[in-house]
Amino acid sequence: MENDYWSIDAIFAENQKLDCTFLLEVPNLGYIDGGDMPNIPAQTKMRLPYWLAAPLLVHDYLEFRIPPAVGYSVLKALSAEPRSVKLSSLVGGGGSWYKFGKEISELLEEATSKDLTEALPKTFRARLVDLIDQAQHFDGTAGSTSASGTGNEFREGLESTEREIFALAQNSAHLMKTWHESSDKR
Amino acid sequence: MSLPPQLRPSLTPQELEFIACNQETIEIIPLFGMDRIRLISGIYGPFVPPAKTRVPLWLATNLKLKMKCRIIPPEWLSVDYLNAKVEEEIAAEEFSELPFRYAEIAKVLLDTASDNIQQADKVRFLLKELREARQAKARKGLSRIDFSLVDLPNLCAMEINEIRPYFVKAMGVMGQLTAGMHPPGGGGGEGMEIDN
Repeated sequence: MENDYWSIDAIFAENQKLDCTFLLEVPNLGYIDGGDMPNIPAQTKMRLPYWLAAPLLVHDYLEFRIPPAVGYSVLKALSAEPRSVKLSSLVGGGGSWYKFGKEISELLEEATSKDLTEALPKTFRARLVDLIDQAQHFDGTAGSTSASGTGNEFREGLESTEREIFALAQNSAHLMKTWHESSDKR
Repeated sequence: MSLPPQLRPSLTPQELEFIACNQETIEIIPLFGMDRIRLISGIYGPFVPPAKTRVPLWLATNLKLKMKCRIIPPEWLSVDYLNAKVEEEIAAEEFSELPFRYAEIAKVLLDTASDNIQQADKVRFLLKELREARQAKARKGLSRIDFSLVDLPNLCAMEINEIRPYFVKAMGVMGQLTAGMHPPGGGGGEGMEIDN
C-alpha cells in the first residue's frame, strides 16, 4: 500500500491499465501500439499503464476515462453493501484496489473525485471488522474453510492490502492460540 | 532486517510472558530457610518458613516447580473477583480495569501452581470468558478506527500485543486513504472549498 520506491507491491499497483486518448501527435513512437505508422496520431485510443499515463496526463498530452474498477457502478455497489463487492476481481490478481483508487482520485479534478475519495476509507473501514473476524477464525489449513459460503466468498474478494492485514491478524491469532495451549509446567 | 517476518510486527506472547516474569513480584510462603539473597532486580528474603515474602514471579515459579514454596495468588485471581469482573465487562461499554499483565501472570500461575489457587478450573474458565468479552470490545473498537488514534483505555499488555500488528497496518492504510482530504468539521477551510 505504501508509496515506497523499493516496494514490489507499489510497482505492481502502478501497472494497472487506463483507457487513454492522445490529444496530440507523437512522432516516431508508432511502434509502441504495434502499428506500422511512424507516428501516433492525435485522438488515438490506447491502454497505457498508470505509471506512463500519469506524467503524460499532468502535461495534458492525454485524456483518460475513469476505469470501471473505480467507476460509478462499483461505487454505487460499495455504498449499498461494501462487503459483497469482490475488490480483487476489479484490479486483477495481486493488485491493490485502494492504492489504484487513490491514484485515480489524485489524477481527477477535486469535484469529480469527491465520491471516490470518500468511498475509499469508508469501504476500508466497513470491510475491516469482517476481515479481522475471518482472519481470527481461519486457521489456515486446507479444509478448515468451514462450509460457510459467504465467508469464503468474502475472503476471495479481498484485494492485496486487505490480504496483508488478513495475514497479520491470522498470524497474531495463531501465536496467541499456541501460547494459550502451551504450558509452563516442565 | 534480520528478524524472521513473523516476529517483526510485534512481540510474541512468550516474550511478554518473560517480561511479566521478570517485572512482576508475588508473595510466597517458602518451605525452606535461607538468608536474604541479592539479585539484579533487588534483595529478596529472608526465607523463614511460615512467613510470607515477596519475590519475582520467575523465582516463585522456579521454587514452586521444585516444591520449595507455596504461592499465594494475587487477590484478583479468585473466583469471586473474576465473577464480578466478567459481569462488569459484559455490562459496561468500556474495558474494565485489570492488572496490566493479568493474562501472563494468570497463565503462569495456573500452569505451575494450580494447586495453590482455589477452584483453579473455575478461574481458568472465568478468565477465558473475560478474554472473550474483551475481544468482542476490541473488535468494536476496530469499526471506529481512524488514522490518528485508537482510544481503548484499560487494554492489557497481551491484548495490545495481539491487536497491534493489524491495527497499526490498518491505521496506516486509513492514513493514506484520507491523506489530503478535508478533516471532518473544523479546520477544513483553507481555501479548498468545493462548490457543487
